[in-house]
Amino acid sequence: MAQLELEGKVFEVDGDGFLTDPGVWNDEVAKLFAKSDGIEDLSEKHWAVVRIIRRNFEEKGNAPMIRTICQETGLKLREIYELFPLGPARGACRVAGLPKPDGCV
Amino acid sequence: MEGNMVTIDNTKRDKAIDLLRSESDSKLVTHLNACVRCGLCADSCMYYLAMKEPKYIPSVKVNMVSSIYRKYCTFEGKIAPALVNAKKLDEEMAAEMVDLLFGACTMCGRCVKHCSIGVDIPFLVKKGREMLATMDLVPETLQSTVDAAVNTGNNMGIPTEEFVDTIKWMEEELTDEMQDERARIPLDEQDKELFYTLNPREPKFFPLSISAMAKIFYAANAEWTLSSKYYDVTNYGYFNANTKEATIIAENLYNEVHRLHGKRLILGECGHGSRANRWEGPNYLKKKYDFDTVTVVELIAEYIRSGKITLDKTLNKEIYTIHDPCNLVRNGGLMDEIRFVVKNAVENLVEMNPYGKDNFCCGGGGGALAMSEYNDRRLKIGKIKADQIAKTGAKVVITPCHNCVDQLTQLNHTYKLGVKIVTISEIVADALVINNK
Repeated sequence: MAQLELEGKVFEVDGDGFLTDPGVWNDEVAKLFAKSDGIEDLSEKHWAVVRIIRRNFEEKGNAPMIRTICQETGLKLREIYELFPLGPARGACRVAGLPKPDGCV
Repeated sequence: MEGNMVTIDNTKRDKAIDLLRSESDSKLVTHLNACVRCGLCADSCMYYLAMKEPKYIPSVKVNMVSSIYRKYCTFEGKIAPALVNAKKLDEEMAAEMVDLLFGACTMCGRCVKHCSIGVDIPFLVKKGREMLATMDLVPETLQSTVDAAVNTGNNMGIPTEEFVDTIKWMEEELTDEMQDERARIPLDEQDKELFYTLNPREPKFFPLSISAMAKIFYAANAEWTLSSKYYDVTNYGYFNANTKEATIIAENLYNEVHRLHGKRLILGECGHGSRANRWEGPNYLKKKYDFDTVTVVELIAEYIRSGKITLDKTLNKEIYTIHDPCNLVRNGGLMDEIRFVVKNAVENLVEMNPYGKDNFCCGGGGGALAMSEYNDRRLKIGKIKADQIAKTGAKVVITPCHNCVDQLTQLNHTYKLGVKIVTISEIVADALVINNK
């Protein structure tokens, strides 16, 4: 476990910088985490991705498949990789306050 | 985990020590006794190069395991431990082993090439990990990846239905793109020549490599299938070193190839998965595989040589470099095969320095990418790889391993390299000249 300080706010995170307690997540946390990844402003498209990831997590306890993200947001695969340069896992899921998914991500 | 205390159950500790007593394993005994601690390995190791602390020197890691061996398995160690540097396996020692054998070694094997007598250092590190696994001391995040594979059939816990939906979705896109109903991604079909496998991160988050490979199969007119249940090429049981779990994972795939009567098991782009199935699998299952196991790199090379696919390398115009996955190149013999494929698919290739068998690991091997506990170290050692990439001047890094792809993607972001990271199937698919309509 580690601590991450962003603009004066301190978050408990795992070694990869994912929130330890997904329950403390809110829009402001998303903005701060995104900023720390170099995404200055979350656009409408960013939010659409974040919201669907968050909803899936709250309903099913895990990150959605990329297919679900594409189909629900209407975005193309490549657009999602451009929106979150660290990818759907280390990029988008972290901004959405999820724990780090298992596996090679 | 650094500095963290651990608790050991005595019965399990005895079982862990028993792993060193295996008298039938002459390789183990030879290598445990062989290291003379000359220290030549120091400068081969990314951890030592990046952090310059003596504890990261490979021989120091080996010495932890061999000092326990001396303590419990040799006469001198039993009667005069201090004279022969024999040490007890106590809780302090176990905590240190977790920190260094799981947290500071990617088992890349670069040290073996630099060892004056060829000690198989990763083999001994893995033996140490086996001891830790026996004592239930595998880092939590790594264990959870193994648990997912054992419990669900894939290391990301993807439900079958969601996997099938994703494959159907990719298939529709492919059929549209090729404008041909024969451009398919077959699922659970029996008696096919090729039984293909994936890294679960492909269906979950990065499916472009699935369609790339499907396009290559289409161009080659291949008879192939995926299984909807056991398609995972990875075996994190190789990394957590729990042989029982590694065997379950390997056996699931083996049985599935049989169930679908696949003739050849095609190992998707995954370094350790290729190794765990091809070289370790028969050892886990204690039987010879009665089907061929072939990596995707070799299969594509075969297609190029036989003329089954035609590539136009002018379609890939950037400057490219190759990152050699340790388990495919240094420990897998595919150095030339990868270059044969890449040189047929791109015009401009610049090699890293060093490259091939002496190449540096991406920094995320050995299960490191799955272990959040050691994220800082992973990024620190990755700086060596990042500098290597930057020096080539390449715009695209090609690597036939999804684990490497993910580590390199993070390095790309952290060290602002401004490159693109792609798999070998993606670069080949981009150069395909499709003429079988």
